[in-house]
Amino acid sequence: MSDQREREKRREERLAAESQVDAKDRRQRMLQLAAGAVFLAIVVEVVVIVVAASSGGGGDTEIEGVTEVNQELSGIPQSALVIGDPKAPVELVEFGDLQCPVCKGYAEDVLPPVIENQVANGEAKLVFRNFTIIGPESTPAGAAAIAAGTQGRGWNFLDLFYRNQGAENGGYIDDEFLTAVARAAGVKNIGKWEQERNSPRLTTEVENTTAEAQRLGFQGTPSFAIKGPSTTGLQPLGTLGSSEEFEEAIEEAS
Amino acid sequence: MKFPSEAALRKSIAFVATLGVGVATYIAIVESGGGSPVCLAGGSGCRTVAESSYSHIAGINVAIFGIIGYLGILATAFMVSDAARFGGFALALGGFGFSIYLTYIEIFKIEAICQWCVGSAVLMTILFLLNATRLIAYAGTTTGARTPLTEG
Repeated sequence: MSDQREREKRREERLAAESQVDAKDRRQRMLQLAAGAVFLAIVVEVVVIVVAASSGGGGDTEIEGVTEVNQELSGIPQSALVIGDPKAPVELVEFGDLQCPVCKGYAEDVLPPVIENQVANGEAKLVFRNFTIIGPESTPAGAAAIAAGTQGRGWNFLDLFYRNQGAENGGYIDDEFLTAVARAAGVKNIGKWEQERNSPRLTTEVENTTAEAQRLGFQGTPSFAIKGPSTTGLQPLGTLGSSEEFEEAIEEAS
Repeated sequence: MKFPSEAALRKSIAFVATLGVGVATYIAIVESGGGSPVCLAGGSGCRTVAESSYSHIAGINVAIFGIIGYLGILATAFMVSDAARFGGFALALGGFGFSIYLTYIEIFKIEAICQWCVGSAVLMTILFLLNATRLIAYAGTTTGARTPLTEG
């Protein structure tokens, strides 16, 4: 009887010891796994940040969407940053910032149907005015667009800039990038464009249109205003959400 | 070294993770809705961050990843097992690493700071510390043991 009790006691002790060893092993494994996970996380973190740091910052001269944009706008008259028939009854004005990602969305999706229909058929002309709110790099970009406009390639420049837009104030707007966009937009006389975009007159123009947008009460980009036979002067529209809303606004103004 | 009881750690983790779910949900709602989006000047870091190309990964709003992460951590706080301890730790480690990456992007790439994103990063850091403490103190124990770190 006592023998049996003794054996049971020893068995229990052995089991307890084993389970303690088990627990210790489990703990050891778990902590090793955790250390491995931390190590892996550090490696991944470093790689991801290094990749992020090296991408997008530099002047990437590979301009995308050239054929598409130039085809879309071909045959529509342009002068300065105005696209459409100069005698069109309605004038739709966009106050935009070339660095603004929302404006990029408008340039790619919302405005093309308006350009294709009401601008192409002479009902309206579309005007771009710089409203620089994102940062100091928006000003040289805006001046470069105006300079492209004097050679009749303003909207090609704007659209291609938007399609190749980088991170806000990311340092990508340098001479190399702007020249690549201008060339892709079809600016013929790069020397003249270069000289013009650096002139203080265009910087002042960018500042003036920014002030105009503020006077109209706009706080964000893109903001729109419209002028036509049925409006009294330039009437602020704010930020319309879809191509259809723009088409309606043009109808109402004409 | 004296650690807080596992129950206390689990309660703290559940509390902070719940706050995290709230913050991430708020960011997701702000980013996805709210009328016509516009770019704003000054004092609008959240909008700038939300509109930047970094706000989505594979077409998914990063705040959604945040919600999933916080919910996962919250779930592990309700379980007592090595799997839950390790799961919570791994999720918080991932979230912490992701927060470091996002904060880096905000500062150096977008150059705009969104206070809600910073809030989420702080919560994730706290969760990482809590989950790491839980794992180190209680890994290998079967219950929310009172005698952690049985040496020998």
